[in-house]
Amino acid sequence: MILGEKLREEGVERPKPYRQLVVSGIVSGALYLLLYLYSAEIMTSFTRTDGWYPALPVIAAFAFSFAHGAFTAYFWDVLGVTGKHKK
Amino acid sequence: MIAVEHAALQFIDLQTGDVLALLAIGFVGGLVSGFIGSGGAFVLTPAMMSLGVAGVVAVASNMCHKFPKAMVGAYRRYKFGHVDIKLGLVMAASATVGVWVGADIQQEIKANFGEAGSNLYVSLAFVIVLAIVGGFVLRDAIKVYRSGDTDAQDKTSRLARWVQSVEIPGTMMHFKTANIRVSALFTLPLGFATGLLAATIAVGGFIGVPGMMYVLGAPGLIASATELVIAFVMGFGGTIKYALHGLVDIRLALILLAGSLFGIQLGAIGTTFVKPFMIKVVMAAIMLIVALSRGLVVPVYLAQLGQMDLAPQTMAWLQTASLATLVLALCTGGFIIIGAMLRGYRAQGTPAAREAVTE
Repeated sequence: MILGEKLREEGVERPKPYRQLVVSGIVSGALYLLLYLYSAEIMTSFTRTDGWYPALPVIAAFAFSFAHGAFTAYFWDVLGVTGKHKK
Repeated sequence: MIAVEHAALQFIDLQTGDVLALLAIGFVGGLVSGFIGSGGAFVLTPAMMSLGVAGVVAVASNMCHKFPKAMVGAYRRYKFGHVDIKLGLVMAASATVGVWVGADIQQEIKANFGEAGSNLYVSLAFVIVLAIVGGFVLRDAIKVYRSGDTDAQDKTSRLARWVQSVEIPGTMMHFKTANIRVSALFTLPLGFATGLLAATIAVGGFIGVPGMMYVLGAPGLIASATELVIAFVMGFGGTIKYALHGLVDIRLALILLAGSLFGIQLGAIGTTFVKPFMIKVVMAAIMLIVALSRGLVVPVYLAQLGQMDLAPQTMAWLQTASLATLVLALCTGGFIIIGAMLRGYRAQGTPAAREAVTE
């Protein structure tokens, strides 16, 4: 059930994921707040080319995409914007 | 060796206006990517360059924001049944090689010709590839429009029919979702070219999507969704490559991601409401306008390299015109997609109406 996508079955009443929206929103918001507060330190260590430092941008990108990706999926879901499922 | 001081010189100071601009272009870029499989990035690289980011840092940061975005988009469209994972992974294998070669070429050019040389190379690649491929896609879209049957599923091109007819024992592969059977020897160069372009302008999809459509014969919807798998794999490889040189500006990447994840979800949803023909229209329109935008600044970089005389006023004017054209490309893409979505949505009825029907 990652990224907030739920399989929809025909005819099943689906409550809107308000709670998930709030939780993922808080996680995503916290990550961006950290980025803002520590941007100087982050830029220094994230551009180092020695050791395992080059892995940092990749790890950060994954972490942000999971948290923020879930938030954006719930966001459109709560607004009622969903795709037409094709077979 | 720690190349922090050397690298730090290439990163810009971010102002509030820059952040808002990145969020907005990230959103529209994501919208376009979710819809045509790639393409957000081709707007983002020049947009970052317009904010003063060096060409190679713009490409590196773009890649770093692209792979997680592509992952989210691919997952969404997989749910809609659009993704051919096998085709995506096979193309991605050779695309990764292309990315590494392309990144090496970038490094060489930057070392030999400096930042203006790097900017000129990236801009020229944009103009040449986008003009050729965009023109081709536009011609096809016009052909479909003139035939009056825009509801039709994609017709297999003559080239694709030939490619599918070639039997090379031991290399034949069947791709179930795309419903094609082709030799791996055709996917290899296509994937390589996709990766090479991705490392150069951060958008391999401009070769990948039309390549899968017109060379392999995959339907547009499947090609655009499968491209997201390729984009994920090569974006991942490319990010590591650029990160090893300390060229990724993580702030730019993550701010772009903030806007583009909203966009890519919406774009992916949009594909379920439109005719296959619309993907070609959006692709062609955006590619050609961006080609024009980058073409306008080629003289500026030539002047910086001392190859041309240009008054400072003219240079400033050309850069403004380029940025304005870019905004036009963004808005055009966004308007077409949202307009097409609304029409499709209306034809389907509102979500509430649909739920009422299913109940």
